[in-house]
Amino acid sequence: MLGAIFRDALKNLWGNRLRSGLTMLGVIIGVASVIAMMAIVEGGQIWLVNSIERLGTNLLFVWKNRLTVEEKRMFAGRNLQLRYDDALAIRKRFPELQVAPIIEIDGQVKTGDRDYSGRITGTSPEFSDIRNFHPASGRFLQTADIQTWNRSVVLGKTIAEVLYGSQSAIGQQLKIGEHRFTVIGVMEPKGEVYGQNRDEMIFIPVTTALRFFKGHDKIRSMIIHVPDRNQMEKVTQQLHQFLIQRHDGVNDIRVRNQGEFLGAVDQTLWTFRIVLGGIAIVALLVGGIGIMNIMLVTVTERTREIGLRKAIGARRKDILLQFLIESTTISVIGGCFGVVLGIFAAYGFGNLVAQSMPGGGDWGAVIKPTAIVVAFVFAVAVGIGFGLFPAMKASKLDPAEALRYQ
Amino acid sequence: MLIVLRHIHKIFTTGEVAVHALDDLNIKIEQGEFVAIIGQSGSGKTTLLDILGCLSQPTSGDYWLDGAHINKLPDSELTMIRNRQIGFIFQTFHLLPRKTSMENVRLPLMYAGATRTQQQNRAQELLTRVGLSDRMHHQSNQLSGGQQQRVAIARALANQPALLLADEPTGNLDSQSGNEILTIFEELHQQGQTIVMITHDPLIAQCANRRITLLDGRVQTDESIAAPAQPTLQEI
Repeated sequence: MLGAIFRDALKNLWGNRLRSGLTMLGVIIGVASVIAMMAIVEGGQIWLVNSIERLGTNLLFVWKNRLTVEEKRMFAGRNLQLRYDDALAIRKRFPELQVAPIIEIDGQVKTGDRDYSGRITGTSPEFSDIRNFHPASGRFLQTADIQTWNRSVVLGKTIAEVLYGSQSAIGQQLKIGEHRFTVIGVMEPKGEVYGQNRDEMIFIPVTTALRFFKGHDKIRSMIIHVPDRNQMEKVTQQLHQFLIQRHDGVNDIRVRNQGEFLGAVDQTLWTFRIVLGGIAIVALLVGGIGIMNIMLVTVTERTREIGLRKAIGARRKDILLQFLIESTTISVIGGCFGVVLGIFAAYGFGNLVAQSMPGGGDWGAVIKPTAIVVAFVFAVAVGIGFGLFPAMKASKLDPAEALRYQ
Repeated sequence: MLIVLRHIHKIFTTGEVAVHALDDLNIKIEQGEFVAIIGQSGSGKTTLLDILGCLSQPTSGDYWLDGAHINKLPDSELTMIRNRQIGFIFQTFHLLPRKTSMENVRLPLMYAGATRTQQQNRAQELLTRVGLSDRMHHQSNQLSGGQQQRVAIARALANQPALLLADEPTGNLDSQSGNEILTIFEELHQQGQTIVMITHDPLIAQCANRRITLLDGRVQTDESIAAPAQPTLQEI
């Protein structure tokens, strides 16, 4: 009997093609937007997490905290600021950690008739491993370079091309400011990572940078690699305490780990999920109201048919089922089309983002099977939910009145 | 006794005005009778049809159909009785559009819970019986009025009802098609089928073997005709 009712429903829907199609459109748009929104947020999450993980894994970041004027006055004379010594002390105290101090200098790089103005990074050999960023030719900085304040330079891929074109850069001489450096390596291409183009970086030994360009030993920050991921929290704490101690009890440094970045990202994404998901679900509910509307019209139009069916033995249940199956069929078929449209919309939108967003090149919509299932199930639920009222109305019609309805 | 109506009242209240559609109606109908219920519009014959067909309940009074005390039964039981015990034939046929003759006849069988094969066999048999073996797969809108009414008769007979209830069965038909329908009724009556036919036309009523005239919700006359109806049919 269910099969017969279902065939009837299809026939009735086909009999009112335009009307059924327009009603379905509501469901189609609803389902498609749920899928597209979920795919976009999912894609965004993967992109952001990848971006953060590409910075290297198990990382701690140490910066100095900006002090207020008052604090500066209060702590005058104490050992403040982040210094190269701090990095050396950390290495001594926590030998299992890899520490890369970082200072940045804005300068001009010159060679023959070409030059390039940009940011030069002073760091130590650990940087390469910590950031998972390796030379394509030549070598990266080594401990000997640090110890001897060696005037060696490692170029990012783009810089090497700007300065030397297709020629090999290794062994070439160049000037940074007034100082002559030798190119010892060219880095592998890495592209943009988290807003920084790795291919435009220039590396010199941190000691050289401090001695020739700064004249003091203050560093900008440190990146620290912790071998055991489970120790991150503990090491963060210990490191912070150690540095406060070194700074005569003044808390003028910040230690952050990657987990905190990921946590913040996750929080942002949940906001997106709720907002976008909410919009999509509203779209689906509007589709549901469309179903209810059209089913009410159908029930009124078919009052005489309902009366006849009741007269010849249809129970309330049979009538209820008949209209419920019809509304559910609308939502199931609409849901199927919606899934297809949603997949297209998600990839279309994904491509759009990839093209228009700086550094979004590897951005893509990610459609999870769960998203499809959720959207589809929700659509069917909407069909049943919003079909229930018209179907109940139909099932409760008085047969004698319904038969003579004009 | 197939049908017993005792002290049946039906009162419709619309706003302040109460209309006494049936007023202390008492009717008994034996198994196998062919009864015509005649009356002007407003005489209460449609109300009586609804009550006989278990489509609505009397305001007061008792109704027994084939031993079942109808006015004491819940809605779900009434549905079952309509399905098994009563075959409806309407003036406007009430066939479902976009459905074939077969599908229309199968409907009461489907609600009775018959299997697909049972439905098909029974529908085929019935349509053949009403002379539509060549119209089984025509949609109802492709049939003439007379043919549609014959499909409706086949549908009404589907579950071998105790009572065939016809409401102005020839009202929408030309006289020839009307005669065909009445001939079928006559045949069914010969085979022992109980038929109650409601009509406003005394001529049509002549083919019945008992005529009950209603006036203002009461039985005015109740006359039985011993002679077979066949000659009268030719007169029409």
